[in-house]
Parts: sequence; C-alpha cells; structure tokens
Amino acid sequence: MQIFVLFVLTLMATVKPDPAPGLFRTKTASAELDCEQLTVARANQERPGQIGEARPRGDYVDRRVVVCSERLISHGVRPVRDEAILSTLDARADEVASAAAALGPDLQSRTWLVETYYPSVQVASKVSFAAKNSLMEHGLTVSDRTPILGFGDLDVITRMPAEQAYPAACKRYYATGSLGEQDALLAVVSRDPRETILHAGLCSRGQWKWLR
Amino acid sequence: MKALFTLMLLALAVLSPTALANSPAEDAQLAELERARAEIADQVHLAAFDLIDELAFGWNRAPVFDTPTPVVLAGVTVPVGLGTGLAAMVENHIAAVLLENPTTNIQLVHCPSCTAVVVHSGPEGTVVSRGYDNPEVLAELGGTTGQHALFVDVEAEGKWLVLRARLTRLTPDLPIVWSHTLTTSSGTPALLRQPDDLKSAAEAREEYLDTLHDRGPITIPVRFAVRTFAQPDAFFTENPGVPPPPFAWLQTGVEIGATDARVWTSSLLIGGSFIPQAYQGLMGQARVSRLLTGRSRSLTRPDLYLFAGGSVMTMWGLATGSFQTEPFTSDAIILALTGQPPRTTLGALHLGLDLRLGNRIGFSSFLETMPSLRNSDNMGDYTRVLGIGFQTLGMEVTVCF
Repeated sequence: MQIFVLFVLTLMATVKPDPAPGLFRTKTASAELDCEQLTVARANQERPGQIGEARPRGDYVDRRVVVCSERLISHGVRPVRDEAILSTLDARADEVASAAAALGPDLQSRTWLVETYYPSVQVASKVSFAAKNSLMEHGLTVSDRTPILGFGDLDVITRMPAEQAYPAACKRYYATGSLGEQDALLAVVSRDPRETILHAGLCSRGQWKWLR
Repeated sequence: MKALFTLMLLALAVLSPTALANSPAEDAQLAELERARAEIADQVHLAAFDLIDELAFGWNRAPVFDTPTPVVLAGVTVPVGLGTGLAAMVENHIAAVLLENPTTNIQLVHCPSCTAVVVHSGPEGTVVSRGYDNPEVLAELGGTTGQHALFVDVEAEGKWLVLRARLTRLTPDLPIVWSHTLTTSSGTPALLRQPDDLKSAAEAREEYLDTLHDRGPITIPVRFAVRTFAQPDAFFTENPGVPPPPFAWLQTGVEIGATDARVWTSSLLIGGSFIPQAYQGLMGQARVSRLLTGRSRSLTRPDLYLFAGGSVMTMWGLATGSFQTEPFTSDAIILALTGQPPRTTLGALHLGLDLRLGNRIGFSSFLETMPSLRNSDNMGDYTRVLGIGFQTLGMEVTVCF
C-alpha cells in the first residue's frame, strides 16, 4: 500500500500537466484554457527559466511547448456568437484594416469613417473601436464622424435585400453630402446571424465594393 | 357554471405573477451566472488598472499634447457581459491616475452636454446623437468646441485583456488625433503601480528584484518548537512505559537561500530547552527546504516549503528518563530522584511542511524518527512509512530577521 502511494506521488510529481481532457482534467476545464504552441526558442524567450534550453547540437527528441492560460471570461457567460467575435476581435479588426490599407494610394489619403452593422449595439461599438484603432495603426487618417441618412432613406433601404441595401445606402450617403469626396466609409458587416465572419465593404464617392 | 369558475381560477393561477416568474432552477442558474460574473470582474479589474497605468505611463513619456489640454472622458466600456460597476471603477482609476500625473498634459474636464443625448433639428433633418458626436450642437450648447474626447474600451479576448484608447478632436470633422492598443494576458500578474509613481514594466521588475535583494540570501530565524511523542502501542508492547512529556525548544541560527528566488534554502540552527525540575537540553539542527508553490518566493502570498533534515539532541533531567529502550517505570523515577538524573544524547531525522508568510513568519509541522529509539517500550509511532516509524510530531513557529 505504501509503495503504491509512493508510486502515485512520484507519478503526480513527474507527469507534466496536460491541457487536454483526461484523467486529471474535465472537458469543461480544458475548454476554459487558451493554448498556443511555441517553439522551444520562443518559449525560452517569453518564459525564461521554465523550459530547458535547446542543446547546442540540437535535442535528441522532438520537443514542443504548449503554453496555456485560462480564459478571462468563461464559456457561457456571453452569447456564443458574441464570444466568437470578441475573443478574436484584435485579429479580425486587423484583417479588415489590412484589406482597407491595401487599396490604392488614392484611398489611403482619404479620411476613413467606420460603421459596424451587428445585432448587438455593445459588440458593434467594440468592433468599430477596434477597426478604427487598426486603421490608425496602418497609418490612415480616421474620423469619429458617423454618416447619417434621413428617415425616408432609412425607411426604403431597410426594406431592401442586403445585396442592394448597402450599395443604395452608399449612394445616398454620397448624394446627401454625408460622405464627401475625400471620405471613405469602411463598413464592417455581419450578414447572417448564423455566421461569425465579419465582412467588410467600402463606400467611396457613392460606389460600394465588398472587400471581404 | 362551476366548471367555468374552475377554468377561470386555473387561468388566473397560470397567469399570476408567481407563475410568470422564473422557476427555481432558472433563478439558481441566474445566481450562478451573476456569481461567475462577479468573480471574473474581480480578476479583470486589476489587469484593467494595470493597462490604464501603462497608458498613463506612455503619455508621461511621450505626451500627446505639448501643453495641458482639456479632455472629456467621453466613454469607458468594459468587457461585454460584465457589469457597469467595473466601468465605474475603471473610469475612477483613469481620473485618479491622470490627476496624479499632470505631466501627461491631459486635463480631464467635466462636460455634461458632451455625454448627454442631444436632439438637433435643422434643414437637413432631425439628428439624435450624443453631444460629442455632434460638435456643432455642442458649440451652441456650451462652447466646448476645440476640446478633445477620450474613449477607452477594455475587452476580454480569450486569455488576453485588451485596452483600446483614442483621442478625438471635437471639431465638426471629429478627427482621431491619437490611438493606442495595449494588451496583457491572464497569466501576467498585475504590477500594482502607485498612481503617483508610475513605472515601466521593466522598472517595476527591477524594483521587485531590488526588494528581493534587500532581504539578502541570509536570514536569521528564531524558532519556537514543541515536540510531542507518541504513546506506546499497548497491543505490540508487552510492558509499555511512559512517553516523554512534550519538549519545548528555542532555536536560532542562519538560513541561506541558494538564489534570490529562495526555491532551495538550508538552515543551521542551535537550540536550547530549559524547564526547571523537568528537563534541560541542547540541540543542533540542519535542514534543507524546497519551495512547493511557485517558482520563487512571493512577497504577497504565502509560500509552502517541504523540508527534510536531521538534528542531534542532548537532554538531561528527570523528564528525559523515557528516552531509553527499556520501560520507564515509577521505580526508575524514584531511583532517579535520589541519584544522578538521566541524560540522553540521540540523533533524529525529520520531514515536514513549512508555511512562510512574506518570508517573515513561518508555521511548520513535521514528523521525526529517532533510529536509536525505534524499539523503545516508552513510545510508539505516529505513523510508519516504508517500515520507518515516526515517533515525534512537532510544531514550530518561526520569526525571521
């Protein structure tokens, strides 16, 4: 019995904690971990002293490092779709801004406005915030101004299918002077409640174009 | 008629407020969700404060404005799913840090009309907006044009807490004049910087190391220990004797850490014991300890060490008569009273756990085996591991200088 206890204690001391669900971790607990795989060199740089350094002539075995941290907000606290968007917001905003920044030099000199169309107002404002910051990081001129449409325009446009509504809104923005010659509107759009992809569209001088 | 009345009663019962209220299971789920939210907010707010400190530190190093400039704190948003209480805390912290750091050149100003919902009707139509979204209306309301608005957003993205900030000039074009994004991960401890003495992460780490170095690798522990001895097992001992009384020791010496992290420490102590008419003793003890919690000793939370060591004790006096293998009887006590009191010298090995608070105070407990007394009729074993009997259970309180 004592040998068994000692064996179990030794096993517990030597076995590295595995983030995967198994004997010592439930599926729910594993799902709360946010893990990334790193090279030994990068892991040593980020967490010095925790991972043995690679030998000068290389390791005899293939070593991989998986760094796991607990998620700040557990699954189930926020709606699933919002969580999917928010948990990767930085990367999504950067993708949208990169697509905008990759357009021609003519558009790069414009003043960029950002609008987000998402069912939740809270999430929409966060997406807009992130997109504006990402555009600034790409060296573009960004404004906090919000283009507006009259009630009549809104009444018509909101009855149109999405394929026609965005180009129509873009034309009206330009026609009413809400968007000027030197303005470019980056619209971040969630087109379907079942998808977690954020689409991006560009409205410039009354012309609408889907970027992604 | 009776059936109709019964039906009406049933309908009333179904539509009553009690029936429309949440079921107990739903209430329990909601309560659990609120508890989870409160716990998360508790963890998140320190990390959010840390990011705000970093933001203000950046403004201190490289101010956005050359001169002190009035800025309206236009909006603070916190992770979706957490309450507005966290937003208020974050807002207060921003104000506190900026007040303590005038060199940021950001002067927070009060502007109720900026954050209020304003309705403006003109030739182009009626526009409902926040004040800071419509600077022309703001100018009409109170002449705040020319100021700047600060927007701060904190969001939890997986394991990352991300703070985004932007400064917008409140002119009709609303240009964003500055923006920044900062990130910290859930695995990173908060730096807990003082608002009036902001530091970079590197400087804060340096200060932490200086604090560790101040204590030095050597400490002087003063330890009060009590050893109790197990009763002999009446089943296995033919003629069980009397175990020694609890022995109290006062010890001091040096404790040395191998590194500043104090993962491994060793100590050399000498001690004495003096209870008139009962016993006196001297001892020497060596011990090696290994930190179990974390990779370095902490200045803020308790540390748990596992230790093992050995000691040599010499004791004399009437109460030390039990430190022998033969049974210590009342006849032997009477004999000792008339002649030379018994004297014992023995070696012991111990294993235990030590809880250190701020590396200043320690509480420890250990089991000790005395090989020369393993067959003693005067004491039993508290426990046996791999055939080794531990006759002594000890408790210690340590104060380190």
